[in-house]
Amino acid sequence: MNTIQELLEGYKKKATQPSTVAGDFLDRIESTNPKFNAYLEVLKEKVIARAKELDGCAGQMENLPLYGIPIAIKDNILVKGWSATAGSKILEGYRSPYTATTVERLEAAGAIVIGKTNCDEFAMGSSNESSAYGVVKNPWDETRVPGGSSGGSAAAVAANLCLGALGTDTGGSIRQPASLCGIVGMKPSYGRVSRFGVVAYASSLDQVGPFGNCVWDNARLLEVMAGFDPRDATTSQSTVGSYTGRLNSKTLNATTIGVARDWLEGVDPEVLKSFEAALATMKAAGAKIVDVAIPHARYGLSTYYILAPSEASSNLARYDGVHYGHRAKGVDSVESLYSRSRGEGFGKEVKLRIMLGTYALSAGYFDAFYTRANQVRALLKKDFEDGFQKCDTIAVPTSPCTAFRIGEKVDDPITMYLSDVFTLPVNLAGLPGISIPCGLDDKKLPIGLQLIGRSYDEASLFSIAHQFEKLRGHFPRAGAK
Amino acid sequence: MSARDKYEAVIGLEVHAQLLTSSKMFCSCPNVFGAEPNTKICPVCTGQPGALPVVNRHAIELGVRVGLALNSTIHPVSIFARKNYFYPDLPKGYQISQYEQPFCTGGEVPIQLKDGTQRGVKLTRIHFEEDVGKSTHHGHGTRVDLNRACVPLIEMVSEPDMRTAFEAGQYLRALRNILRYTQVCDGNLEEGNFRCDANISVRLKGAQEFGTKVELKNINSFRYVEKAIDYEIDRQVEMIELGEVIQQQTRGWNAAKGTTELMRLKEGAADYRYFPEPDLAPLEITTDWQNEIRKQLPELPQQKSERFQESYGLSPYDASVLTAAQELAQYFETVTNLSQNAKASANWVMNELLGRLNAASVEIDQSPVSTEHLADLIRRIDSNEISGKIAKTVFEAMFATAKAPETILNEKGLRQISDAKQLEKVIQKVIEANTSQVVEYKNGKTKLLGFFVGQVMKETKGQANPGVLNELVKKLLDSQ
Amino acid sequence: MLTRQEVLKIAQLARLSLTDAEVAEYQKRLGRVIEYMKDLDSLSLPKGAFVRHVPLDAPRFREDEARQWPDREAIVANAPLAEENQFLLPTVLEKET
Repeated sequence: MNTIQELLEGYKKKATQPSTVAGDFLDRIESTNPKFNAYLEVLKEKVIARAKELDGCAGQMENLPLYGIPIAIKDNILVKGWSATAGSKILEGYRSPYTATTVERLEAAGAIVIGKTNCDEFAMGSSNESSAYGVVKNPWDETRVPGGSSGGSAAAVAANLCLGALGTDTGGSIRQPASLCGIVGMKPSYGRVSRFGVVAYASSLDQVGPFGNCVWDNARLLEVMAGFDPRDATTSQSTVGSYTGRLNSKTLNATTIGVARDWLEGVDPEVLKSFEAALATMKAAGAKIVDVAIPHARYGLSTYYILAPSEASSNLARYDGVHYGHRAKGVDSVESLYSRSRGEGFGKEVKLRIMLGTYALSAGYFDAFYTRANQVRALLKKDFEDGFQKCDTIAVPTSPCTAFRIGEKVDDPITMYLSDVFTLPVNLAGLPGISIPCGLDDKKLPIGLQLIGRSYDEASLFSIAHQFEKLRGHFPRAGAK
Repeated sequence: MSARDKYEAVIGLEVHAQLLTSSKMFCSCPNVFGAEPNTKICPVCTGQPGALPVVNRHAIELGVRVGLALNSTIHPVSIFARKNYFYPDLPKGYQISQYEQPFCTGGEVPIQLKDGTQRGVKLTRIHFEEDVGKSTHHGHGTRVDLNRACVPLIEMVSEPDMRTAFEAGQYLRALRNILRYTQVCDGNLEEGNFRCDANISVRLKGAQEFGTKVELKNINSFRYVEKAIDYEIDRQVEMIELGEVIQQQTRGWNAAKGTTELMRLKEGAADYRYFPEPDLAPLEITTDWQNEIRKQLPELPQQKSERFQESYGLSPYDASVLTAAQELAQYFETVTNLSQNAKASANWVMNELLGRLNAASVEIDQSPVSTEHLADLIRRIDSNEISGKIAKTVFEAMFATAKAPETILNEKGLRQISDAKQLEKVIQKVIEANTSQVVEYKNGKTKLLGFFVGQVMKETKGQANPGVLNELVKKLLDSQ
Repeated sequence: MLTRQEVLKIAQLARLSLTDAEVAEYQKRLGRVIEYMKDLDSLSLPKGAFVRHVPLDAPRFREDEARQWPDREAIVANAPLAEENQFLLPTVLEKET
């Protein structure tokens, strides 16, 4: 049983029960997690107790859309009683005093939180190398990165250490690792999913989204956790509805796919080839392919790296060693308590982004950076609105390259940031985007196709993705030679 | 001409007022004063990772109420902004406030000047803000209590529109009065739900440019407002006279020493890196909502004072004293309605009641003399049932015991005897006992009338109604 | 490249203690990123463009109802140092910010 959909069927047929399934996953985590470093915390007793509790609820299975499904949670999402390091040393030892709305909803639907996954520190990274707890290894090739920042969640799903996982996506942190790990990952429209209980990186861009082995699994996870939350004033009150029930609502012969050729610069030829093949497949099935222009997409990187760090510099001010988290020893003043605790607690990339944001917001630079970037963001949003006049979805590769080697891009920040050129603009425009495996390169590494949808039309996006998935057929799993 | 007379002060006030909501500004924790440390906290107000703010509707209503009461402009769209700075009692490392686009600008606070005339002190702006926690210093460390963090505040910034400490004091009193009338804030400086910082500079009279301003903090009692500002003005004048340069700085009022003290020098403006709060949408206050709030506005102090002058014939001074607090105005009005004598009601409240209440530190709504009792007393004077002198005695007993006038008159035997038959008996007795004086009276020594009245008074222990008594004595003597 | 002074000033505003080696590294890294961002300078931008990222149908307010949060102990439990249910900072508190 390799997907959530299959396991739910299995439970229905009484082929297995939650405690058996949880036990299998726990065993696998114990034996293989040391190799991948995907999990940071697995509270075995809690997991077993929860699974046993669910064994006794078999009668209510019909009303529990995620009955007995083991889910991994990125360690920047709070689950009461569990760690929430956000990949940072500064939150080492912190115990979540409450549970995020998303996790609350998954648990209410019968899901089992099986562990907290590794990630780039405060979700700042595209390779998982900025985690204070070591890099996650890509299950397809352990010398390579899983992508980031939700690398632990992606690797956990790819390595069959859970059936679904939550990640967060501020500039591509779900879609890019999903692409690099050969699984499906989705970032919903901004405001579709509650951010309550999610360690904030860049509040106007952050969204929680699902990882899974197929589109159906993603649709199920999102339909359970999406929707208005009175504790998050940025969530939409519009209804969510069933995503799994509408997976065939949009057929390819009724779909127009937009391609922004001017955006497709600097793509690895193997990736481009696979991307074109995916387009051809959908065209052959009746989809119409049209050209669209997203002229400001090329400015997405600069825009993002002004706005996200600006918000981050403020969001991360709370980690000051006073109320929780790391506190430096032997300080002689409050000022040194702050700067030493933060200096010791934060890693290199986080410090870089905090300083970048502090600079962009500071007197004399605000207009040239923050204000300007917001203006570009408005133009970019307009580009997409115009583009969607002509098509139902815009297709781009998820990542310009497949999984790169650990250490390959750490020396130059811009080289690393360029990993996200196809995902950053989607966050800036607040749109939903999904990454689906579409092929393998010559090194047998997975390639992802990203489909971008209209604002709040996750249902159509899932449906188009599902149609492509059916055409593509079986996709190999990591480690399957 | 003293040195000080050459100068004038320029004073602007920044007032923070805590809003009387049930819950905090951005979370549902109770908004209460004086709870045990860290018992009114949650993930939001303690800045836990992942916690998010949600705006309290009532807090916005209260802010708008103040803006409307001061004839300010309420903006249909305003922006919450983050003010970034590090401080132990600021758990998020930023304070949610409003910066470039506050919800309210303009307006003025009417104040009463010494000559009885009024003028408006101009407001620059009012904006919303969350309060911070409290740190207390102990020998071995600093404790941080976050109960107060995230309590809703409005910050009201005046123009540098005041020239004397008296004006500043009147401004503060007027503002507090309006906040209390509108039930927006308790206006209690001592409890810190109403806090005032003053920006003070001095310049030669007639100069156009402002002097270097000093920020004065910690004015936490109405008793010290004028004193503290006056002290600071004198200090600055003295320095300038000595040829010294005033540096931009923050000073605190030390009530014990009666001086202001340096807290810190300001080296350039602090860089708060304000930017729009991404966790909150722009704040929208529709015209409909404004109108709804306007409808609920109570009668404000100035309107009430004008009405008191018109309807009750009170002097501007009396009217302003009686409208200084809503409860007091209400007390006065109830007594007036019951007694149907506004002038007497005003006199009794102002001359007899307020002084005693102040001396006993009792609020008007806790007054031992109820409105019904005081009105009853006034009616009895007006109907000549008791004399003004007895009334004062009765009032004193009423204040001490909270008993009704009727009860006190009975207990103390202070009831006036107006009954003619009863009095005639006593007069008859006095006439019989003083036959020689009766003869003298009859022979034309009419001023002996007072002697007989006095004798009757003595017999009745002063309870005889003097008017009735006079007439009866005269009548009975003449008929002898 | 940023100057050493520029990096130190930003680090002070952000309350980050940096070693000399870090300062040198951030002179380069920050400089590199800020340099890259100059690509925005070529754009002619409309005045006052405002991006509302919050959905229009997001709730504007919550009602003023007080509720006691049940797990306050769990909050103070995360304090590096606490005393009498309060967060505790070591002595030597100088002047306010």
